[in-house]
Amino acid sequence: MISRNMPMCQAVLEHYRLLPLLPRFNIRLGFGEKCVEEVCRLNHVTTEFFMEISNAYLDDDYIPQTDLSLFPLGDLVGYLTSTHHYYLEVAIPKIERKIHQLLDGSALSEKERGLVSGFFDDYRKEFLEHVSREDKLVLPYILELEKEYMKEKPDAEFMKRLQVYTIRDFAREHDRLETSLENLSRLIIKYLPPFEDFDLCHQVLTDLSDLVRDLIDHAHMEDKVLVPRVAEIEQHLLRKSEAG
Amino acid sequence: MKRVNFILCIEAYLLCKGVAAVLQRIPGASVVREFGTVDMLTHYLKNHAVDFLLICDTLFEKATDLFIEDPGLLERTILLKINPVRPEGAGKFKEIIYLTDGKQEITFKIKELLNPYFRNHREEPQSTLTEREKTIVRLVSMGLTNKQIADKLFLSTHTIITHRKNIIHKLGIKSVSGLTVYAIVNNIITIDEVT
Ligand SMILES: [Fe+2]
Ligand SMILES: [Fe+2]
Repeated sequence: MISRNMPMCQAVLEHYRLLPLLPRFNIRLGFGEKCVEEVCRLNHVTTEFFMEISNAYLDDDYIPQTDLSLFPLGDLVGYLTSTHHYYLEVAIPKIERKIHQLLDGSALSEKERGLVSGFFDDYRKEFLEHVSREDKLVLPYILELEKEYMKEKPDAEFMKRLQVYTIRDFAREHDRLETSLENLSRLIIKYLPPFEDFDLCHQVLTDLSDLVRDLIDHAHMEDKVLVPRVAEIEQHLLRKSEAG
Repeated sequence: MKRVNFILCIEAYLLCKGVAAVLQRIPGASVVREFGTVDMLTHYLKNHAVDFLLICDTLFEKATDLFIEDPGLLERTILLKINPVRPEGAGKFKEIIYLTDGKQEITFKIKELLNPYFRNHREEPQSTLTEREKTIVRLVSMGLTNKQIADKLFLSTHTIITHRKNIIHKLGIKSVSGLTVYAIVNNIITIDEVT
Protein backbone atom coordinates (compact mmCIF):
# COMPACT_ATOMS: atom_id res chain seq x y z
CA MET A 1 0.00 0.00 0.00
CA ILE A 2 1.09 3.53 -0.70
CA SER A 3 1.09 6.18 1.98
CA ARG A 4 1.67 9.90 1.82
CA ASN A 5 5.01 10.00 3.63
CA MET A 6 6.60 7.16 1.74
CA PRO A 7 9.41 8.15 -0.67
CA MET A 8 7.91 8.08 -4.16
CA CYS A 9 10.92 6.09 -5.33
CA GLN A 10 10.14 3.34 -2.84
CA ALA A 11 6.45 3.34 -3.81
CA VAL A 12 7.35 2.64 -7.42
CA LEU A 13 10.07 0.10 -6.63
CA GLU A 14 7.66 -1.84 -4.45
CA HIS A 15 4.76 -1.57 -6.87
CA TYR A 16 5.84 -1.69 -10.47
CA ARG A 17 2.25 -1.69 -11.63
CA LEU A 18 2.14 1.93 -10.51
CA LEU A 19 4.27 2.98 -13.48
CA PRO A 20 1.52 3.25 -16.13
CA LEU A 21 -0.50 5.43 -13.75
CA LEU A 22 2.16 8.13 -13.39
CA PRO A 23 1.71 9.79 -16.82
CA ARG A 24 -2.05 9.90 -16.18
CA PHE A 25 -1.29 12.30 -13.35
CA ASN A 26 1.43 14.05 -15.35
CA ILE A 27 4.00 12.76 -12.90
CA ARG A 28 7.51 12.10 -14.20
CA LEU A 29 10.40 10.06 -12.80
CA GLY A 30 13.50 11.50 -11.17
CA PHE A 31 11.92 11.74 -7.71
CA GLY A 32 15.10 12.10 -5.65
CA GLU A 33 14.21 11.97 -1.96
CA LYS A 34 10.73 13.42 -2.41
CA CYS A 35 7.83 11.63 -0.75
CA VAL A 36 4.47 10.85 -2.34
CA GLU A 37 2.86 13.98 -0.95
CA GLU A 38 5.61 16.29 -2.20
CA VAL A 39 5.59 14.79 -5.67
CA CYS A 40 1.83 15.20 -5.84
CA ARG A 41 1.98 18.80 -4.65
CA LEU A 42 4.66 19.73 -7.17
CA ASN A 43 2.52 18.26 -9.96
CA HIS A 44 -0.74 19.85 -8.77
CA VAL A 45 -2.33 16.50 -7.98
CA THR A 46 -4.58 16.05 -4.94
CA THR A 47 -2.55 13.67 -2.76
CA GLU A 48 -5.56 11.80 -1.35
CA PHE A 49 -6.97 11.34 -4.82
CA PHE A 50 -3.68 9.97 -6.10
CA MET A 51 -3.41 7.55 -3.18
CA GLU A 52 -6.97 6.31 -3.49
CA ILE A 53 -6.73 5.71 -7.22
CA SER A 54 -3.31 4.05 -6.92
CA ASN A 55 -4.16 1.81 -4.00
CA ALA A 56 -7.42 0.68 -5.57
CA TYR A 57 -5.49 -0.01 -8.78
CA LEU A 58 -2.82 -2.05 -7.03
CA ASP A 59 -5.01 -4.12 -4.76
CA ASP A 60 -8.42 -5.54 -5.59
CA ASP A 61 -9.17 -5.99 -1.90
CA TYR A 62 -8.23 -2.43 -1.01
CA ILE A 63 -10.68 -0.70 1.28
CA PRO A 64 -11.06 3.02 0.49
CA GLN A 65 -9.78 5.29 3.23
CA THR A 66 -11.35 8.40 1.83
CA ASP A 67 -14.55 8.19 -0.07
CA LEU A 68 -13.84 8.74 -3.76
CA SER A 69 -17.13 10.61 -3.88
CA LEU A 70 -15.56 13.37 -1.82
CA PHE A 71 -13.27 14.46 -4.65
CA PRO A 72 -14.39 17.03 -7.20
CA LEU A 73 -15.85 15.35 -10.27
CA GLY A 74 -13.27 17.27 -12.30
CA ASP A 75 -10.45 15.21 -10.72
CA LEU A 76 -12.15 11.99 -11.65
CA VAL A 77 -13.04 13.14 -15.15
CA GLY A 78 -9.47 14.33 -15.69
CA TYR A 79 -8.11 10.97 -14.61
CA LEU A 80 -10.49 9.05 -16.88
CA THR A 81 -9.64 11.31 -19.82
CA SER A 82 -5.89 10.80 -19.47
CA THR A 83 -6.46 7.06 -19.09
CA HIS A 84 -8.35 7.10 -22.40
CA HIS A 85 -5.46 8.95 -23.92
CA TYR A 86 -3.07 6.27 -22.65
CA TYR A 87 -5.18 3.52 -24.20
CA LEU A 88 -5.49 5.18 -27.59
CA GLU A 89 -1.99 6.58 -27.89
CA VAL A 90 0.09 3.98 -26.08
CA ALA A 91 -1.48 0.67 -25.10
CA ILE A 92 -3.52 -0.21 -28.20
CA PRO A 93 -0.92 0.89 -30.81
CA LYS A 94 1.78 -0.99 -28.93
CA ILE A 95 -0.18 -4.25 -28.91
CA GLU A 96 -1.23 -3.78 -32.51
CA ARG A 97 2.37 -3.28 -33.61
CA LYS A 98 3.53 -6.37 -31.77
CA ILE A 99 0.68 -8.49 -33.10
CA HIS A 100 1.53 -7.57 -36.66
CA GLN A 101 5.19 -8.27 -36.03
CA LEU A 102 4.25 -11.62 -34.56
CA LEU A 103 2.03 -12.50 -37.51
CA ASP A 104 4.65 -11.44 -40.05
CA GLY A 105 7.27 -13.77 -38.68
CA SER A 106 4.92 -16.69 -38.15
CA ALA A 107 4.11 -19.85 -40.05
CA LEU A 108 0.36 -19.22 -39.72
CA SER A 109 -1.91 -19.86 -42.69
CA GLU A 110 -3.37 -16.94 -44.63
CA LYS A 111 -6.73 -17.63 -42.99
CA GLU A 112 -5.38 -17.70 -39.44
CA ARG A 113 -3.47 -14.53 -40.05
CA GLY A 114 -6.52 -12.78 -41.47
CA LEU A 115 -8.56 -13.93 -38.49
CA VAL A 116 -6.22 -12.33 -35.96
CA SER A 117 -5.50 -9.11 -37.83
CA GLY A 118 -9.16 -8.65 -38.80
CA PHE A 119 -10.15 -9.24 -35.22
CA PHE A 120 -7.77 -6.65 -33.85
CA ASP A 121 -8.73 -4.17 -36.54
CA ASP A 122 -12.41 -4.35 -35.60
CA TYR A 123 -11.54 -4.27 -31.95
CA ARG A 124 -9.54 -1.07 -32.36
CA LYS A 125 -12.48 0.56 -34.14
CA GLU A 126 -14.94 -0.47 -31.41
CA PHE A 127 -12.51 0.74 -28.79
CA LEU A 128 -12.16 4.10 -30.47
CA GLU A 129 -15.93 4.45 -30.74
CA HIS A 130 -16.44 3.59 -27.08
CA VAL A 131 -13.80 6.02 -25.85
CA SER A 132 -14.73 8.90 -28.18
CA ARG A 133 -18.31 8.69 -27.03
CA GLU A 134 -17.15 9.13 -23.46
CA ASP A 135 -14.63 11.85 -24.26
CA LYS A 136 -16.87 13.87 -26.54
CA LEU A 137 -20.28 13.38 -24.92
CA VAL A 138 -20.38 11.78 -21.51
CA LEU A 139 -17.48 13.43 -19.69
CA PRO A 140 -18.21 16.98 -20.97
CA TYR A 141 -21.83 16.41 -19.96
CA ILE A 142 -20.70 15.54 -16.43
CA LEU A 143 -18.61 18.69 -16.13
CA GLU A 144 -21.52 20.75 -17.37
CA LEU A 145 -23.82 19.03 -14.90
CA GLU A 146 -21.53 19.91 -12.04
CA LYS A 147 -21.45 23.52 -13.18
CA GLU A 148 -25.24 23.72 -13.41
CA TYR A 149 -25.49 22.12 -9.99
CA MET A 150 -23.43 24.92 -8.47
CA LYS A 151 -25.65 27.59 -9.99
CA GLU A 152 -28.46 29.26 -8.11
CA LYS A 153 -30.81 28.58 -10.99
CA PRO A 154 -29.88 25.87 -13.50
CA ASP A 155 -30.19 26.56 -17.19
CA ALA A 156 -33.67 25.73 -18.56
CA GLU A 157 -32.30 24.21 -21.75
CA PHE A 158 -30.04 21.94 -19.74
CA MET A 159 -32.89 20.82 -17.50
CA LYS A 160 -34.98 19.94 -20.53
CA ARG A 161 -32.20 17.69 -21.79
CA LEU A 162 -31.88 16.10 -18.38
CA GLN A 163 -35.50 14.97 -18.59
CA VAL A 164 -34.65 12.89 -21.65
CA TYR A 165 -31.13 11.63 -21.10
CA THR A 166 -29.48 10.77 -17.81
CA ILE A 167 -26.28 8.95 -16.89
CA ARG A 168 -28.28 5.77 -16.30
CA ASP A 169 -29.03 5.65 -20.03
CA PHE A 170 -25.32 5.74 -20.66
CA ALA A 171 -24.63 3.08 -18.03
CA ARG A 172 -27.16 0.72 -19.57
CA GLU A 173 -25.32 0.69 -22.89
CA HIS A 174 -21.87 0.72 -21.40
CA ASP A 175 -20.01 -2.24 -22.99
CA ARG A 176 -17.14 -4.18 -21.50
CA LEU A 177 -13.97 -3.69 -23.50
CA GLU A 178 -11.88 -6.43 -21.93
CA THR A 179 -13.84 -9.55 -22.91
CA SER A 180 -12.66 -9.51 -26.52
CA LEU A 181 -9.03 -9.24 -25.40
CA GLU A 182 -9.43 -12.24 -23.15
CA ASN A 183 -10.80 -14.20 -26.11
CA LEU A 184 -7.79 -13.20 -28.16
CA SER A 185 -5.37 -14.46 -25.49
CA ARG A 186 -7.29 -17.71 -25.30
CA LEU A 187 -7.13 -18.04 -29.09
CA ILE A 188 -3.35 -17.66 -29.05
CA ILE A 189 -2.73 -19.96 -26.11
CA LYS A 190 -5.13 -22.72 -27.04
CA TYR A 191 -6.17 -22.75 -30.67
CA LEU A 192 -3.55 -21.24 -32.96
CA PRO A 193 -0.43 -23.16 -33.98
CA PRO A 194 2.58 -22.11 -31.87
CA PHE A 195 4.58 -19.03 -32.85
CA GLU A 196 8.27 -19.34 -33.61
CA ASP A 197 9.16 -16.20 -31.70
CA PHE A 198 8.11 -17.19 -28.21
CA ASP A 199 9.56 -14.10 -26.57
CA LEU A 200 7.47 -11.79 -28.75
CA CYS A 201 4.42 -13.96 -28.17
CA HIS A 202 5.06 -13.73 -24.44
CA GLN A 203 5.19 -9.93 -24.71
CA VAL A 204 1.90 -9.83 -26.59
CA LEU A 205 0.18 -12.01 -24.00
CA THR A 206 1.62 -9.99 -21.11
CA ASP A 207 0.54 -6.71 -22.74
CA LEU A 208 -2.94 -8.13 -23.32
CA SER A 209 -3.31 -9.26 -19.73
CA ASP A 210 -2.01 -5.91 -18.40
CA LEU A 211 -4.53 -4.08 -20.55
CA VAL A 212 -7.36 -6.36 -19.41
CA ARG A 213 -6.58 -5.60 -15.77
CA ASP A 214 -6.34 -1.91 -16.50
CA LEU A 215 -9.67 -1.93 -18.34
CA ILE A 216 -11.41 -3.73 -15.49
CA ASP A 217 -10.19 -1.08 -13.08
CA HIS A 218 -11.24 1.65 -15.49
CA ALA A 219 -14.74 0.25 -15.96
CA HIS A 220 -15.03 -0.02 -12.20
CA MET A 221 -14.26 3.70 -11.86
CA GLU A 222 -16.86 4.51 -14.49
CA ASP A 223 -19.65 2.17 -13.40
CA LYS A 224 -19.21 2.06 -9.65
CA VAL A 225 -17.76 5.45 -8.78
CA LEU A 226 -18.67 7.92 -11.51
CA VAL A 227 -22.17 6.80 -12.51
CA PRO A 228 -23.70 6.57 -9.00
CA ARG A 229 -22.23 9.95 -8.11
CA VAL A 230 -23.49 11.62 -11.27
CA ALA A 231 -26.91 9.99 -10.87
CA GLU A 232 -27.15 11.43 -7.39
CA ILE A 233 -26.42 14.97 -8.63
CA GLU A 234 -28.97 14.55 -11.41
CA GLN A 235 -31.62 13.52 -8.91
CA HIS A 236 -30.84 16.55 -6.75
CA LEU A 237 -31.11 18.86 -9.73
CA LEU A 238 -34.37 17.33 -10.95
CA ARG A 239 -35.96 17.56 -7.54
CA LYS A 240 -34.75 21.13 -7.11
CA SER A 241 -36.26 22.17 -10.42
CA GLU A 242 -39.57 20.47 -9.62
CA ALA A 243 -39.73 22.32 -6.31
CA GLY A 244 -38.77 25.63 -7.93
CA MET B 1 -20.99 -7.03 -10.65
CA LYS B 2 -23.11 -5.31 -8.09
CA ARG B 3 -21.57 -4.87 -4.67
CA VAL B 4 -23.38 -4.90 -1.37
CA ASN B 5 -21.68 -2.43 0.97
CA PHE B 6 -20.71 -3.24 4.53
CA ILE B 7 -19.23 -0.92 7.08
CA LEU B 8 -17.50 -2.31 10.11
CA CYS B 9 -17.44 -0.88 13.60
CA ILE B 10 -15.16 -3.05 15.69
CA GLU B 11 -12.90 -1.90 18.50
CA ALA B 12 -10.32 -4.71 18.37
CA TYR B 13 -8.07 -3.92 15.43
CA LEU B 14 -7.04 -7.50 14.67
CA LEU B 15 -10.64 -8.63 14.75
CA CYS B 16 -11.70 -5.80 12.46
CA LYS B 17 -9.04 -6.62 9.87
CA GLY B 18 -9.97 -10.29 10.07
CA VAL B 19 -13.67 -9.66 9.51
CA ALA B 20 -12.86 -7.31 6.60
CA ALA B 21 -10.64 -9.93 4.95
CA VAL B 22 -13.34 -12.61 5.30
CA LEU B 23 -16.07 -10.36 3.88
CA GLN B 24 -13.97 -9.15 0.95
CA ARG B 25 -13.57 -12.73 -0.16
CA ILE B 26 -17.29 -13.32 -0.47
CA PRO B 27 -18.41 -12.47 -4.02
CA GLY B 28 -20.70 -9.46 -4.06
CA ALA B 29 -19.74 -8.24 -0.59
CA SER B 30 -17.61 -5.16 -0.23
CA VAL B 31 -16.27 -3.50 2.92
CA VAL B 32 -16.31 0.23 2.29
CA ARG B 33 -15.14 1.54 5.65
CA GLU B 34 -13.78 0.31 8.96
CA PHE B 35 -14.22 2.18 12.23
CA GLY B 36 -12.84 1.57 15.69
CA THR B 37 -15.03 4.08 17.49
CA VAL B 38 -18.72 5.00 17.53
CA ASP B 39 -17.93 8.70 16.97
CA MET B 40 -16.41 8.13 13.56
CA LEU B 41 -19.22 5.80 12.63
CA THR B 42 -21.87 8.35 13.60
CA HIS B 43 -20.17 11.01 11.55
CA TYR B 44 -19.96 8.74 8.51
CA LEU B 45 -23.58 7.61 8.68
CA LYS B 46 -24.74 11.23 8.57
CA ASN B 47 -23.60 11.52 4.97
CA HIS B 48 -23.62 8.01 3.60
CA ALA B 49 -26.07 5.25 2.92
CA VAL B 50 -24.89 1.71 3.51
CA ASP B 51 -26.42 -1.69 2.98
CA PHE B 52 -25.19 -3.29 6.21
CA LEU B 53 -23.49 -2.29 9.41
CA LEU B 54 -21.49 -4.93 11.23
CA ILE B 55 -20.84 -3.86 14.80
CA CYS B 56 -19.29 -5.60 17.79
CA ASP B 57 -21.33 -5.98 20.99
CA THR B 58 -19.17 -3.67 23.11
CA LEU B 59 -19.52 -0.77 20.69
CA PHE B 60 -23.18 -1.48 20.05
CA GLU B 61 -23.90 -0.61 23.66
CA LYS B 62 -22.29 2.79 23.15
CA ALA B 63 -24.17 3.43 19.94
CA THR B 64 -27.74 3.47 21.27
CA ASP B 65 -28.31 7.08 20.16
CA LEU B 66 -27.60 6.10 16.61
CA PHE B 67 -30.31 3.48 16.65
CA ILE B 68 -32.84 5.78 18.29
CA GLU B 69 -32.21 8.40 15.61
CA ASP B 70 -32.57 5.90 12.78
CA PRO B 71 -34.91 3.08 13.81
CA GLY B 72 -34.47 1.38 10.44
CA LEU B 73 -30.77 0.87 11.07
CA LEU B 74 -31.30 -2.16 13.31
CA GLU B 75 -32.86 -3.95 10.36
CA ARG B 76 -29.54 -3.59 8.57
CA THR B 77 -27.28 -4.37 11.50
CA ILE B 78 -25.24 -7.50 12.07
CA LEU B 79 -24.01 -8.04 15.59
CA LEU B 80 -20.56 -9.48 16.14
CA LYS B 81 -20.83 -11.21 19.46
CA ILE B 82 -17.58 -11.21 21.38
CA ASN B 83 -18.86 -11.68 24.93
CA PRO B 84 -20.87 -14.90 25.02
CA VAL B 85 -22.48 -14.26 28.45
CA ARG B 86 -24.07 -10.91 27.84
CA PRO B 87 -27.67 -11.20 26.70
CA GLU B 88 -28.05 -10.24 23.11
CA GLY B 89 -31.72 -9.43 22.60
CA ALA B 90 -31.94 -11.95 19.82
CA GLY B 91 -34.35 -11.34 17.00
CA LYS B 92 -33.87 -7.63 16.78
CA PHE B 93 -30.72 -7.83 14.70
CA LYS B 94 -30.59 -8.80 11.06
CA GLU B 95 -28.01 -11.43 11.92
CA ILE B 96 -25.64 -12.40 14.71
CA ILE B 97 -22.13 -13.67 14.15
CA TYR B 98 -20.31 -15.41 16.99
CA LEU B 99 -16.57 -15.54 17.52
CA THR B 100 -16.90 -19.31 17.60
CA ASP B 101 -18.56 -19.47 14.15
CA GLY B 102 -16.67 -21.58 11.63
CA LYS B 103 -15.91 -20.58 8.06
CA GLN B 104 -19.00 -22.32 6.71
CA GLU B 105 -21.37 -20.71 9.20
CA ILE B 106 -20.09 -17.21 8.54
CA THR B 107 -20.11 -17.62 4.77
CA PHE B 108 -23.62 -19.03 4.90
CA LYS B 109 -24.92 -16.18 7.05
CA ILE B 110 -23.42 -13.51 4.82
CA LYS B 111 -24.60 -15.15 1.63
CA GLU B 112 -28.13 -15.31 3.02
CA LEU B 113 -27.92 -11.55 3.56
CA LEU B 114 -26.71 -10.95 0.02
CA ASN B 115 -29.28 -13.17 -1.67
CA PRO B 116 -32.14 -10.67 -1.96
CA TYR B 117 -29.82 -8.19 -3.65
CA PHE B 118 -28.92 -10.54 -6.43
CA ARG B 119 -32.18 -12.39 -6.92
CA ASN B 120 -34.21 -9.44 -8.13
CA HIS B 121 -31.99 -7.22 -10.15
CA ARG B 122 -29.97 -9.27 -12.53
CA GLU B 123 -27.50 -6.62 -13.53
CA GLU B 124 -25.15 -8.90 -15.38
CA PRO B 125 -26.50 -9.97 -18.71
CA GLN B 126 -26.67 -13.72 -19.00
CA SER B 127 -23.61 -14.69 -20.92
CA THR B 128 -24.54 -18.21 -21.92
CA LEU B 129 -26.12 -18.60 -25.33
CA THR B 130 -29.10 -20.80 -26.16
CA GLU B 131 -28.60 -23.64 -28.64
CA ARG B 132 -30.35 -21.63 -31.35
CA GLU B 133 -28.11 -18.63 -30.69
CA LYS B 134 -25.02 -20.85 -30.84
CA THR B 135 -26.16 -22.14 -34.23
CA ILE B 136 -26.51 -18.59 -35.45
CA VAL B 137 -23.09 -17.57 -34.14
CA ARG B 138 -21.69 -20.61 -35.92
CA LEU B 139 -23.29 -19.65 -39.23
CA VAL B 140 -22.23 -16.02 -38.88
CA SER B 141 -18.65 -17.19 -38.33
CA MET B 142 -18.89 -19.24 -41.51
CA GLY B 143 -19.60 -16.01 -43.36
CA LEU B 144 -23.33 -16.43 -44.02
CA THR B 145 -25.57 -13.37 -44.33
CA ASN B 146 -28.72 -12.95 -42.27
CA LYS B 147 -30.78 -13.88 -45.31
CA GLN B 148 -28.80 -17.07 -45.90
CA ILE B 149 -29.06 -18.01 -42.23
CA ALA B 150 -32.81 -17.40 -42.30
CA ASP B 151 -33.24 -19.67 -45.33
CA LYS B 152 -31.12 -22.39 -43.81
CA LEU B 153 -33.02 -22.42 -40.51
CA PHE B 154 -36.49 -21.84 -42.06
CA LEU B 155 -36.90 -18.62 -40.12
CA SER B 156 -37.62 -15.07 -41.18
CA THR B 157 -34.77 -12.60 -41.59
CA HIS B 158 -36.50 -10.52 -38.94
CA THR B 159 -36.18 -13.36 -36.41
CA ILE B 160 -32.49 -13.74 -37.20
CA ILE B 161 -31.94 -10.04 -36.65
CA THR B 162 -33.68 -10.28 -33.28
CA HIS B 163 -31.48 -13.22 -32.33
CA ARG B 164 -28.39 -11.32 -33.35
CA LYS B 165 -29.41 -8.35 -31.24
CA ASN B 166 -29.80 -10.65 -28.25
CA ILE B 167 -26.42 -12.18 -28.91
CA ILE B 168 -24.79 -8.75 -29.00
CA HIS B 169 -26.53 -7.87 -25.77
CA LYS B 170 -25.44 -11.07 -24.03
CA LEU B 171 -21.83 -11.11 -25.19
CA GLY B 172 -21.13 -7.44 -25.79
CA ILE B 173 -19.51 -8.43 -29.09
CA LYS B 174 -20.67 -6.60 -32.21
CA SER B 175 -18.30 -7.43 -35.06
CA VAL B 176 -18.29 -10.61 -37.12
CA SER B 177 -14.57 -11.09 -36.43
CA GLY B 178 -15.25 -10.76 -32.69
CA LEU B 179 -18.04 -13.31 -32.86
CA THR B 180 -15.83 -15.66 -34.87
CA VAL B 181 -13.08 -15.61 -32.27
CA TYR B 182 -15.70 -16.05 -29.56
CA ALA B 183 -17.06 -19.07 -31.43
CA ILE B 184 -13.60 -20.62 -31.75
CA VAL B 185 -12.58 -20.22 -28.12
CA ASN B 186 -15.94 -21.55 -26.98
CA ASN B 187 -15.73 -24.58 -29.25
CA ILE B 188 -18.75 -23.61 -31.32
CA ILE B 189 -16.69 -23.81 -34.49
CA THR B 190 -13.15 -24.90 -35.43
CA ILE B 191 -10.64 -22.63 -37.16
CA ASP B 192 -10.84 -24.88 -40.22
CA GLU B 193 -14.56 -24.27 -40.62
CA VAL B 194 -14.19 -20.48 -40.54
CA THR B 195 -14.23 -18.81 -43.93
FE1 LIG C 1 -13.73 5.01 -20.34
FE1 LIG D 1 -16.12 3.04 -20.66
